Amino acid sequence: MAKKEEKIEYVKNGKRLDGRKVDESRSLKIEAGILNRADGSAYLEWGQNKVIAAVYGPREALPKHIQNPYKALVNYQYRMATFSVPDRKNPRPARREIEISKVCGEALEKVIFVEKFPNTTIDIFVEILDSNAGTRVAGLTAASIALADAGIPMRDLVAAIGVGKAGGEIILDLNKEEEDAPDAVDIPLAIMPRTEEIVLLQMDGLLTKEEWKKALKLGLKGCRQVYEIQRATLRKQYEAAEKEAKVGEKGEREKGEKVK
Amino acid sequence: MSEKKIVVPGELITGERKRLGSHVFVENGKVYSDSLGLVYTDKDVASVVPLHGKYIPRRSDLVIGVIVSETYSGYIVDINSIYRSYVSKEYIRENLSRGAIISAKVRDVNEINEAELEDVRVFYGGELLSTSPVKIPRIIGKNGSMLNELKSGTACSIVVGRNGWIWAKGGNVSLLVEAIELIEREAHLSNLTNKVGEFLRKKVSK
Repeated sequence: MAKKEEKIEYVKNGKRLDGRKVDESRSLKIEAGILNRADGSAYLEWGQNKVIAAVYGPREALPKHIQNPYKALVNYQYRMATFSVPDRKNPRPARREIEISKVCGEALEKVIFVEKFPNTTIDIFVEILDSNAGTRVAGLTAASIALADAGIPMRDLVAAIGVGKAGGEIILDLNKEEEDAPDAVDIPLAIMPRTEEIVLLQMDGLLTKEEWKKALKLGLKGCRQVYEIQRATLRKQYEAAEKEAKVGEKGEREKGEKVK
Repeated sequence: MSEKKIVVPGELITGERKRLGSHVFVENGKVYSDSLGLVYTDKDVASVVPLHGKYIPRRSDLVIGVIVSETYSGYIVDINSIYRSYVSKEYIRENLSRGAIISAKVRDVNEINEAELEDVRVFYGGELLSTSPVKIPRIIGKNGSMLNELKSGTACSIVVGRNGWIWAKGGNVSLLVEAIELIEREAHLSNLTNKVGEFLRKKVSK
């Protein structure tokens, strides 16, 4: 398939194929509370990736024998839409999706106060509408916003990003082209930003010890950037409304507060 | 009311030693928020008022419920919580059928958050309105100020349950719905009581 002679330079003069720097992620945009019928929801665009996450619950776990009287179950479902990849994807959940659902669910179980909701389940549905590498971290980032939007008590948000290697360089947030490099290494990484505790870490490919140290450092830095965007997203809707109201009733505010 | 700060889950509230209010947790001696909400701290309590969330019954809450089914000695009541609740027939004189609306006090809550109710009052007619349980304190207001405003503005008889359900009868219920929507939308802002009062007066005079 690939010609032996042809060699792509993945990083040229400090710039990557799509013009990004080595430590630059794709543009990230998140919106919370987009679905009316869900308890919490979020829509996320990360480069070409488009993700909808919906949270239902905590609600009664059924059938009854799956209930755990000590904690809530976290049911994470990662699904790719049939049109999310260049060739049609079979809608049946494949091995890959089942695995991603499992590891992401376990990552979120770490941050949710599951012991507060015995005998219940928290259902998280993540649908990938468009994909271009790094969808599991995109899904996890969106899901944690949706959980906060649902008002589910959590120790922390989960911020996630992909790091890896392409063309011998350690780079942040790989896209599909870079992930297909012959020496590509892909590391999805998710942390609890406050303690920098790692809740998800997988790796495809081989790295030397030095490369790994560099990749982890870069990944943590990326996660912190993601966290700032997540925080801004959650606060945005309320701060905007507050500003609006302040402009409208500047004079009355003083009076009203004294009455209270 | 001190300054209002919006916090996200896991955000630091204070490093000082304080009594824990609602929706906070301690890690390594520091107090953190566990949900998206507004911080209310004073000299000795650190607390967060969440902006979203479901109702978890607490003892002596007043709730509005709907009868789901009948058992030998009581009724199963839906109180808009994750968990169902039970009320003994001891506290009810008449026979209730499925769908009847009641108000009740939470007598006790067990370790898996199931509530037992008492002090039942049965409603005839009227409407059941629904809002988010975290907005209920704003709908009641300080010492019931907002509720009085709503009652006088719409001429409804209103009973507000802690669980996010409101029973209303008579008067202008559709105006009440509009006013509640206004409160929901701006629940995190200050000076809301005056605003709602004005809104109601404007609507009534039209």
